[in-house]
Amino acid sequence: MDRITKSRFGAMNRRSFLTTIAAGATVAALPKTLFAADKPTLVTSIRSLSNPYHAVWKSGAEAFAKSVGLDHVTLVSEGNSEKGIADIKALLAKTGGNMVLNSDPNDTPDARPIVEACAKAGAYVVTQWNKPADLHPRDFNPYYVSHIEFDGTVSGKLIAEILFKSIGGSGGIVALGGQISNTAAIERKQGLEAALAANPDIKLLDFQVANWKSSEAYDLTGNLLTRFGDQVKGIWAANDDMGTGALEALRAEGLAGKVPVVGVDGIKAAVDAVRNGEFAATVTSDPFWQGGMGLSIALQALEKKFDPTTQPPDHREFYGKAVLISKDNVEEYYKTNIESQPTVDWNDLWGRVTGPIRS
Amino acid sequence: MLTANIDNLKAGGASERRSALLGLARRLTNKRAAPLFVLIALCVLITIANPSFIEPRNLVRIANSAAVPLTLAMGLTFIILLGSIDLSVEGSLSVAAMVVVLLAANDANTNQFGWLAVFAAIAASTVMGLATGLIQTMLRIPSFMATLGVWFIGLGISVYMLGGSAVRLMDPSIRNLALARFAGLPLGVWVALGAFAFACTIQYHTRLGRYIMAIGGGEDLAELSGVNVRRVRILAFGLAGFFFGMAGVLSAAQLGRSDAVIADGRLFAAVTAVVVGGTALTGGEGGVVNTLIGVLIVTILGNGMILLGVSPYVQQTAQGLMIIAAVALSLDRIRLQIVK
Repeated sequence: MDRITKSRFGAMNRRSFLTTIAAGATVAALPKTLFAADKPTLVTSIRSLSNPYHAVWKSGAEAFAKSVGLDHVTLVSEGNSEKGIADIKALLAKTGGNMVLNSDPNDTPDARPIVEACAKAGAYVVTQWNKPADLHPRDFNPYYVSHIEFDGTVSGKLIAEILFKSIGGSGGIVALGGQISNTAAIERKQGLEAALAANPDIKLLDFQVANWKSSEAYDLTGNLLTRFGDQVKGIWAANDDMGTGALEALRAEGLAGKVPVVGVDGIKAAVDAVRNGEFAATVTSDPFWQGGMGLSIALQALEKKFDPTTQPPDHREFYGKAVLISKDNVEEYYKTNIESQPTVDWNDLWGRVTGPIRS
Repeated sequence: MLTANIDNLKAGGASERRSALLGLARRLTNKRAAPLFVLIALCVLITIANPSFIEPRNLVRIANSAAVPLTLAMGLTFIILLGSIDLSVEGSLSVAAMVVVLLAANDANTNQFGWLAVFAAIAASTVMGLATGLIQTMLRIPSFMATLGVWFIGLGISVYMLGGSAVRLMDPSIRNLALARFAGLPLGVWVALGAFAFACTIQYHTRLGRYIMAIGGGEDLAELSGVNVRRVRILAFGLAGFFFGMAGVLSAAQLGRSDAVIADGRLFAAVTAVVVGGTALTGGEGGVVNTLIGVLIVTILGNGMILLGVSPYVQQTAQGLMIIAAVALSLDRIRLQIVK
């Protein structure tokens, strides 16, 4: 009986947003005893499924869950912090704390109540991207296993350098930034500035903000082309959505492929554009890895395969290694990541650690 | 004799000229023309600051940027003329964009229905509009809440269908709406102009257009005069859905792809354009010509700020000030008894 209910639950929870919601409701409705089995539940908590990034995150989590044969639940906060935290608390209560959580907290302050609730219930948790600077895994031993981020400065600088190289090391570029107050947007811009400082022959004609959006980038790029005309040799975008919007604006002017674009995230449209030479590069934090590895780290801690308390600091709070996709490796990346599901060694917990997070 | 005649003529000519000048002055002070003057002043100021504004290349780009907001705002104008509001703009637009990419050649499935996809997209969005009208009139739910609901339903449907990813539009003939040109303008601009002509016809030459104005001016009076308010409302929302659908297709054609959040920020831009153009949120005043001017003001302002090199950190503030200024100029304060 127990088994049947669980497998049905797994099937409902497979692909889509709506069924995820339904599954969430089912979780809330299931009696406590069903979850009190010995097997831990894997839980992913993300912002939404309406963006490609988190959709890939979820498929990584499901691939990992399949590899270890455990049930997996996806909680979606829809940008609502209260909902995100309440859903996690509800699941902690249902499972009696026998779960591992891989969370991309909706907002920075959310990490604290999430971690506190998990530690209290005895569940193991990994957070990614957002946490307050004074919240540390070592303060919640052993339950708060790790916190993972990706250094936006490195990504911003990396793609800028490739862009500069692809336009021959000199000339004018325009840059499209994300929301002004957003941490990732600020970091990536800092990376761009660092690259500019090292390349005095490159001139930043203008830095404009397109709020991460393709449609805004489309309009902005047209306007920037009016202002600078042929001086624009390349376009730096803080994410691929804006980068592809800029690319379409270039295409409408017959400039696609002549003015290279770079972005961050590695979305499919950008990878395709790298393949046909319209994008110079994109860089990705690899959400597939993030979705699976966060669960893997927490699960191995729960299974006592390693002891979080004895791990070095850069295993507790670290920057992950971003994957660069450029002309040189795009065909291989396409084959292994787009055409088929990537294969990740889920036991290689610390393979992508690049160093401790700057405070 | 001859001299006298000439003198007479001169005197007459002068007085005529004077009255023409007076008429012009009167029209200048007429609040209704204010948005047009804001638009002209904006163009002149930007041209002085950066002459490349007036280059044909830039004017084409402005027209291209204005195509989607114009088509959207045409639909919204009718709803605002009714004295209602339609918040479902983003939901309907994203459904239309989703339908067109999923049915035309794309990189997520093997469908290849070509232009049928475009008709399906517009039909889907029109049906959503009609449904909104039915919900509003039959269930007697205020348009604000009814359309808010439809917004989220539409967004939910596109998230579900697209599975959270961005799907690329590969049909070259639909992409041509953005990429091909006729007489120097992208086809999408001609479509938007067609939408404008269609909206003008409806507003000024059909009974539906007049009924919409009448209901916006005073719903009880219109009803007592025999206007079938319910039917007009349903048709108006359906009409709005039709325009949102066109905008969705244009948007997908421009960006060459569609994701669930393709319409993010379009609602606010459309409402701003309608109001800046001088259509009153209270209904019954303004029209699609005002909206054309409003859309141009908003688009040119965005273009101009880039040309002037205004820092992104102050652009939003500048936009806010412009909106208040434009509305303040076009408001008829004498007739406005209460402000809410």
